[in-house]
Amino acid sequence: MTLTQIFKTLITCILVISFLMITVSAYQQHRTISALAELTDVTSAIVTRLSVEELAYVGNDEKLHMYSIDPAKLENCSTRWEIGGENFDFRVSVSYEAGGEHILGPYGSAPPDDRARCSLAVACALYENGRFLPAKLSVIAWCA
Amino acid sequence: MVRLDDRGVADILAIAFMFVILVLAAVFMHTYSLRPLRAATDRQLELKSEHLYMTLELAWVEPYSVSFLRAATENILLEQPTVPGPYLRSAVENTLEYLCPPRYAVAISLSYDNSSWELSWPEGVGLGIDAEKQFVRQGEVRLTMASGEKIAVPVTVRIFEIDGT
Repeated sequence: MTLTQIFKTLITCILVISFLMITVSAYQQHRTISALAELTDVTSAIVTRLSVEELAYVGNDEKLHMYSIDPAKLENCSTRWEIGGENFDFRVSVSYEAGGEHILGPYGSAPPDDRARCSLAVACALYENGRFLPAKLSVIAWCA
Repeated sequence: MVRLDDRGVADILAIAFMFVILVLAAVFMHTYSLRPLRAATDRQLELKSEHLYMTLELAWVEPYSVSFLRAATENILLEQPTVPGPYLRSAVENTLEYLCPPRYAVAISLSYDNSSWELSWPEGVGLGIDAEKQFVRQGEVRLTMASGEKIAVPVTVRIFEIDGT
């Protein structure tokens, strides 16, 4: 075997190994990204359910005011939900400006440092003292 | 020095081709794997635009008891609206400054006949109609005039990416 043949074989082996390593790395990245995308969608689902159902203000006429948050419901809100067969924990808070920023909460346990988390803040109306104030509903979710 | 014959050149070409394939495969695999996350983030922005529209429809302009969108509609249709025009613009700007997603701009536009009411935040970014990435929520505000006539004013709330971010 000549020096050239040894060199060519070596280069080919390096290329094949590199290709395999890149494929494995891409697969692992794909799994991580898919899990993050799923968590992002779950966070969106949690925020939607909170604002249109769980925390929505119910008027004296028993009418549900979607996208309006009732602060009285925040304390009693369950912060572990099963979505798509998996349990997810979340922490929720509502902030608004009235002569400076006020924050209601956060409610729910502190997010763990060793797991992927997703946060989302959306606009909402906060019902307080008979008035509807512009506010922000913030949620941090993670897989339980 | 080893002389390269025809066979040797073919081997080197094959190795070079494998190297190019390797680089291209790496780039494609890593680029396309981010697509699901980008799509999920876009869905979140779509949700933010829906919530922002509903908030402007529901929340009141302090200290008045009318919503932001209704106040803007009155500014188009009525000579003496509940909320004066300059005060409404200032209140909407303050609210959008607080609610606007980071790195994005918000534009609100209402129009009826030849009248229109437009506002964008941050100032000077325009309405974002030509923005590459935009999330639009359209609706209408209905107002009953003193004559009994019911008028529906189309509303567009647009969240869009600011150029250069």
